[in-house]
Amino acid sequence: MFNKILVANRGEIALRILRACRTLGIGAVVAYSEADRDSLAAQLADEAICIGPADAKHSYLSAPAIISAAVVTGCDAIHPGYGFLSEDEGFADVVRAHGLAFIGPSAEVLERFASKEATRRILGGHGLPTIPGSGMLRDEAHALDEAERIGYPVLIKPSAGGGGKGMRLVRTARELESGLKVSRSEAKAGFGDDALYLEKYIDDTRHVEIQVAVDRFGNAVHMGDRDCSVQRRHQKIIEEAPSPALSDAARQELAERALAAVSAAGYENLGTLEFLVDPNGDAYFIEINCRIQVEHPITELLTGIDMVALQIRIAAGEPLGITQADVVPRGHAIEFRILAEDPAKDFRPQAGQVGAYLAPGGPGVRMDSHLYPGYDIPSYYDSLLGKLCVWAPDRSQAIARGDAALRELLVDGIVTNIDLHRAILANQVFIDGKVTTNLLDRVGSAPFVAAGNR
Amino acid sequence: MRTRDEDPSVGEAMNSGAADPEAAIHTRRNHDAIAHLANDLLPALIAKLAASGLGEIEVREGGWKARLRMPAPADDGRRSAGRAADGHSAHASARGAAHARPEEPSRRLRPEPEVVEEPGRVAAKSPAVGVYNPRRDLVVGMRVRAGDRIGSVNVLGVGQDVVAPVDGVIGSSLAEAGEAVEYGQELVRIELPERAAEAEDELAAFAGVAGKA
Repeated sequence: MFNKILVANRGEIALRILRACRTLGIGAVVAYSEADRDSLAAQLADEAICIGPADAKHSYLSAPAIISAAVVTGCDAIHPGYGFLSEDEGFADVVRAHGLAFIGPSAEVLERFASKEATRRILGGHGLPTIPGSGMLRDEAHALDEAERIGYPVLIKPSAGGGGKGMRLVRTARELESGLKVSRSEAKAGFGDDALYLEKYIDDTRHVEIQVAVDRFGNAVHMGDRDCSVQRRHQKIIEEAPSPALSDAARQELAERALAAVSAAGYENLGTLEFLVDPNGDAYFIEINCRIQVEHPITELLTGIDMVALQIRIAAGEPLGITQADVVPRGHAIEFRILAEDPAKDFRPQAGQVGAYLAPGGPGVRMDSHLYPGYDIPSYYDSLLGKLCVWAPDRSQAIARGDAALRELLVDGIVTNIDLHRAILANQVFIDGKVTTNLLDRVGSAPFVAAGNR
Repeated sequence: MRTRDEDPSVGEAMNSGAADPEAAIHTRRNHDAIAHLANDLLPALIAKLAASGLGEIEVREGGWKARLRMPAPADDGRRSAGRAADGHSAHASARGAAHARPEEPSRRLRPEPEVVEEPGRVAAKSPAVGVYNPRRDLVVGMRVRAGDRIGSVNVLGVGQDVVAPVDGVIGSSLAEAGEAVEYGQELVRIELPERAAEAEDELAAFAGVAGKA
């Protein structure tokens, strides 16, 4: 096991990692930027070290600063948290070259799964269903044949670039013919490459993910699924487990297929496989996240497993120590991301000083947050203030506990999305467990904002 | 009292070849060149650097080159002057880079500055997290100009310059050679010009005493 870990992240996850180190009896050094000098993690840590200025490029994203901090404080491992350098294979490689352990998958594993396209090919080859698509389109006749085979509607997608540029939804052969020309010229202009392919368009999807853990000896378990369908512009807002979109049989099958595929592909450490689930209940693999995820606490609430501690033990070369039979998810859990954003003003991020702060309590309530009264929220980083998680024996009780906890949660001085969460909880679509990823963007958040203000 | 042309710390004047301290004539020539750099070239360069918005400029003349660098983090444009001046007092300590708190930590969930900045005193700070080494010839009382290199911080084998943030006189050291330091940690006190006369009086009292403070 490690002696001392450098925590190379900030906010609530820095605190979460610090707590895991303490329960494991491992020393921890919190690395912080100048803007985070007064952060809770830096203050609660036995040791803390300033690694750079507020600009993350020169602090939380600076490999030399982080590794130098680990070296001079005598750490033997670095925990990157999520975001920042957590899935950077180059960073993982340099960490190892300095004789330190990277808490996450090895550089080779990160590299193998770095490209979404390659990952879909690899895991598709190991039995995961992927969204039906074509190869690169040769000409119009080829495109028409492929679209017929896949089935309309289809998306025309440029091979290069991203961000939706050159992407086009077509529902008929006629639309495809005209769409190809426009997409080709847009792709040529935007990326200097007019190669296109087709992908089946799936409307009204759910976002369901499977959590896995694999040690270096090939022992592997899954920890069930999470549903992250409550999103705004692809940002998750509420997550719950288990997913209301899957039957228990489908849940079981998806988790087992996901685990078999990553095991066969040589994955290691914690990982999350993300799927789109269509209205028929069919799941399509989209990507893998090679890190601890923001929403990991709901899986912890269901399984009783400390996932950050498990991640550290796997990185230290220890065997999992549990088998699939030991993972018994119980009840239902919901996570609310408490964000410093103003829903009434297009979710503009907020910065400033927190006045009063009161975390909720009661049975099955967990608050992972770096807030404290008087804390100055810096404007340089993301708007996540904390995660309010609730657990209950079933979904309706979890919703009731969630609402009670949200009412209790007090964050003074900063506009937050707490009321928006309450409005979503009270919405019939959520109560019925039928939220799709496009809901908030399609109906807009205005009805929810209005309901939240009542 | 040192005169400017004897002061090896003026500018960041460096001999591009290896300096030979034994060769007196060579040294004399070096001093003349330094004097030329300091009196003619550097004031113009400093003005140019300040006006340009660049982080660093370098000029060559004969066997010499002069490189001027803005104080390290100024390049990101985010550090306010107030932040730079209030020092690293709240968190950094001369004890070392990481503030070990093995005992009951003094919690300051409502942060208050622990040290009140003394007016008229500033410090050269660490540009990075790493191992600090002062310039070998650094002595208390040495006159420095803003941007002068007064040491370096070794970051994984790569040295990053510690520079004087203002014109002034070297005061006490706040970190030892070979000590692990964090970003922004105060390393060397710089006494400001208005206090320079006072400092020179102190220096006179220590006349002949060399070495680190």
